[in-house]
Amino acid sequence: MIRQTDVDRAGLKERYPETFRTPVLAHAVYLTIVTAGAGLVVYALWRFGFSPAKFLDGLGKLGTVLTLMVPPDPGSQLWKYVAALGETLSIAFLGTLGAAILALPASMLAAKNVVANRFVHFASRRFLDSIRGIDTLIWALIWINVVGLGPFAGILAIMTSDFGSFGKLFSEAIEASDRKPVDGVTSAGGSDLHGFRFGVLPQVLPILLSQVLYYFESNTRSATIIGIVGAGGIGLYLANEIAQAEWQSVAFLILMILATVAAIDWISAKIRFAVIGRRGVVA
Amino acid sequence: MLGLVLVLVFSVLSAWIGEVDPAKFWNGLPRFVSYFHDILPQLRLASLGADLEEWFWNLDGWLGLLFDTLLVAYVGTLFGAIAAFVLCFLASANLTRSATLRFASRRLLEFCRTVPEIVFALMFVYAFGFGAMPGVLAIAIHTAGALGKQFSEVVENVDMHPVDGLTATGATYVETIRFGVVPQILSNFMSYSLLRFEINVRGATVLGFVGAGGIGKELISSIRQFYYADVSAILLIIIATVFLIDWLTERLRHRLLSLDGAEQ
Amino acid sequence: MLRLEGVTKSFGDKRAVDQVSLVVPTGQLVGVIGRSGAGKSTLLRMINRLGDPSHGRILFGDTDITALKGRALRQWRARCAMIFQQFNLAGRLDVLNNVMMGRLSRVGTTRALLKLWSEDDRAIALSALDQFDMAGLAAQRADTLSGGQQQRVAIARAMVQEPDIILADEPIASLDPRNTKIVMDSLLRINKHFGITVVCNLHSLDTARAYCDRLVGMAQGKVVFDGAPQTLTDDIARDLYGLDAGEVMDTAGTALPLPVQEGRPSLAVA
Ligand SMILES: Nc1ncnc2c1ncn2[C@@H]1O[C@H](COP(=O)(O)OP(=O)(O)O)[C@@H](O)[C@H]1O
Ligand SMILES: [Mg+2]
Repeated sequence: MIRQTDVDRAGLKERYPETFRTPVLAHAVYLTIVTAGAGLVVYALWRFGFSPAKFLDGLGKLGTVLTLMVPPDPGSQLWKYVAALGETLSIAFLGTLGAAILALPASMLAAKNVVANRFVHFASRRFLDSIRGIDTLIWALIWINVVGLGPFAGILAIMTSDFGSFGKLFSEAIEASDRKPVDGVTSAGGSDLHGFRFGVLPQVLPILLSQVLYYFESNTRSATIIGIVGAGGIGLYLANEIAQAEWQSVAFLILMILATVAAIDWISAKIRFAVIGRRGVVA
Repeated sequence: MLGLVLVLVFSVLSAWIGEVDPAKFWNGLPRFVSYFHDILPQLRLASLGADLEEWFWNLDGWLGLLFDTLLVAYVGTLFGAIAAFVLCFLASANLTRSATLRFASRRLLEFCRTVPEIVFALMFVYAFGFGAMPGVLAIAIHTAGALGKQFSEVVENVDMHPVDGLTATGATYVETIRFGVVPQILSNFMSYSLLRFEINVRGATVLGFVGAGGIGKELISSIRQFYYADVSAILLIIIATVFLIDWLTERLRHRLLSLDGAEQ
Repeated sequence: MLRLEGVTKSFGDKRAVDQVSLVVPTGQLVGVIGRSGAGKSTLLRMINRLGDPSHGRILFGDTDITALKGRALRQWRARCAMIFQQFNLAGRLDVLNNVMMGRLSRVGTTRALLKLWSEDDRAIALSALDQFDMAGLAAQRADTLSGGQQQRVAIARAMVQEPDIILADEPIASLDPRNTKIVMDSLLRINKHFGITVVCNLHSLDTARAYCDRLVGMAQGKVVFDGAPQTLTDDIARDLYGLDAGEVMDTAGTALPLPVQEGRPSLAVA
C-alpha cells in the first residue's frame, strides 16, 4: 500500500517547487472579482432599501396570495378572457408576420454581401439595433399615441420591435450564406436581384423561417402582457385582476397563458422540425 | 402551398380579431412620423449648448434611474443565474436519475420562464410594495427559468467520461459536478448569462411601468403626459446604454471564448 | 477477497451479465477476456457500483458491496480504483488536479471544492506521477496529453486512492505498443509489489496470457472459462472469440512477459 509517510516530500519539493507554490496572484484576482461582484449586489440591495424584515413580510403576503389563488376560477368572465386570448394570438401572429415581411428588404441593406457600401451597411445595422434597443412595451405606448388604445397598437408594436430583431438576424443569415450559387446565377447572365432570389434566398429561407417561428413563440408571451399598457390582448385583464386582488381570476389567466404558450411551442416545434429538421434554431 | 393558404387564412382572421384598421393606420401614420418629429427638440447651431442642456435638463436624475435599472438587471441576472445553476443539474437526464426530481425541476423552470417577468413584477409589487426589489425578484425568477433550460441543455451534452471517472473514485455528487462537469460548461454558462443580462437590461427598462423600479416610471409618465422632449431624451439614453452594454458583453464573451482553451 | 454470487445485470430484455459467480483471492491479477459485447465492462462497473446488479451479490471480505449506500458506498469506490479505456480524466483540469481526484475521499469537501490541496496530498500525487516520469507535466492540461500519458495519469490517480483493488476496463485498448507495455507493466508492478488485487478486462488474448495469474472468459454475459492462462487452449480461445480469434491471438510481440520493475524506494509495501 502507498503510504504518505513514505513519500519523499522534501526531495519532491526540491525538484518541483512550482507544484507546491500557492498561486497567490491568481487567487487574488479571483478573490477581487468575486468580492467586487458581491459588493455590487450588497450595494444594490442597500440602494433599493432591502430589509430582511420587509422581505419576509412580502413573502408572507405572497404566500397568502398563493393560497387565495386556488382554485383558479374565471368567475363570470370566461368568454371575455377567451376573446382576449384570441386577440393576443392575433397580435403575435400578425406582428411577427408583418415584421418578417418588412425586415427582409431591410436585412438586405444591412448584409455586407448584398450591399457592399460600408456606410449603408453600418447605418442600417445601427438603425436596426436602435429599434431593437427599445422594448416592445415602449413601442406599444408610442403606437397607442398614433392609432389609439387596442390590439392594433399591439400588432404595430410587435411588428416594430421584431423588425429590428429580424433585420439583424436575417442579415446575419444572409451574410453567412454560401457565395457560390450566387456566382452561378450571375455568371449565367442573371442580375444581382436574380442572384439574390435564386442564389441566396433558397439557402437562407429555412433558417429565416425557423427564426420567425421562434419569434412567434416568444411573441405569444410578449403579446400576453402588452395589454398592461392598453395595447390589446389578455394583459389588460391580467393587470386589472391583479390590481383588484382577484387572485382566483389571476391564477386562471396565468394557467390560460401557460397552456396557450405550451400549445404554440408544440405546434411551432412541429413546423420547425418539418421545415429544417432537427438542426434547431439560431436564436 | 397549403402553408401559404393557412398563413393567409390566419392573417385575415387575426386582422379581424386584432381590429386591424388600415384607415386608422393610414390616418395615424403621419402622426407616427410627426410623433418622432415632435419629440425631437429644436436644436439650433447658434445655441447648441443651451439647447442640449435644456433637452437633457434632468440628465442626472435620469442617469440615476438608469443606474437603478442596470442594477436591477445585474442583481436579477446574477440571482437568476445562481438558481439556474443549481436547478439545471437536477433537470438534466444524464446527472439526475430520479425521474420525479427531474420532472419537478423541469416543470418549475418552465413555469418560471413562461410567465412573463412583468406579470411576476405586478404580483411582487402587490406583495412587496413599490420599488426596485420586486423588479429584481421578477427578473431573477424569469432568468432562472430561461437560463435553467439553456444550462441543462448544455449539461446534457457534456462528455460523461470524466463524470464516470470521478464517481468511480468515490467523489460526492457535488465534487463530481465541480470537477467532472463544471470545467466543461463554465464558459458556455457565462456566455449565456451575459446574453441574458443584455436581454434583462432591455426588460428592466419597462419594469418601472408597473412600479418595479428604474427608468421605466419616468418614461411612461413622460409619454402619457406628452413631455415630448423628455421622451426622446430618455429613449436616447436608453438606446445608448443598451448599445454600451451589448458592446461590453460581446467583448467579454469573445474573451471568454478565447479563454475557453485555458484551465478553469 | 472479492466474491461474486450469481451477479446478473439486465438492460431491458437483454442480460448483459448473466449469473456470474467468482471468487478472487486477495493479490491475484485476474484477466477477464471475451469478445466485445460479452459483458466485461458491465461486470467491472458493477463491482465499483457504477452500475447496480439486477440480481446477485458482490462481497468484499465480509462487506456486501451491493447493499452499500451514501458515504459507505463512496468509501468503497475509493477503495476500489477504476481505470478506463478512455482514461476518463477531467480533460480541462491539469494533470496534478486530475491525480488529486484520487484523494477526494480523504480531503474535506470545502477544501476540495476550492482546490486547496495540502502539501502532503500534493507530494503523494507528485510521487505517483514521478513513477511514470510525469511529474514535470503536473501543470499541463490533461486533454493536451497523448493517450499513453493520459492513461498513466489515470493510473497515478488510482494509486493515490491507496486502493485495495484495482479494476481496469480495457486499459490498453486505445494505446500503442510502447504505452501498452508501460501500462501493463505498472499494473503488474502494483499487483506484485503492493499485493493489490487487479481485475483487468482485456481484449488481446496474448497480453492476457502474458500478464495474468488467472483468466476468466466471458461470452454473452456468462463465465465460460476460468483457469490458469496455460490451460486456455487455442480451441477454447477460438470458441470464446469466434470470428475475432485471429485478431486477438496473433499479436505476439506486443506482449512479452516482462521483468517486474522495482517500485521507487519512496513507495513502500504496508
Ligand atoms: N447502458 C446500457 N444500456 C443497454 N445495453 C447495454 C448498456 N451497457 C451495455 N449494454 C449491453 O450489454 C452488453 C455487454 O456490454 P459490455 O459490458 O460493454 O461488453 P464488453 O465490455 O464485454 O464489450 C452489450 O450487448 C451491450 O450492448
Ligand atoms: Mg467494454
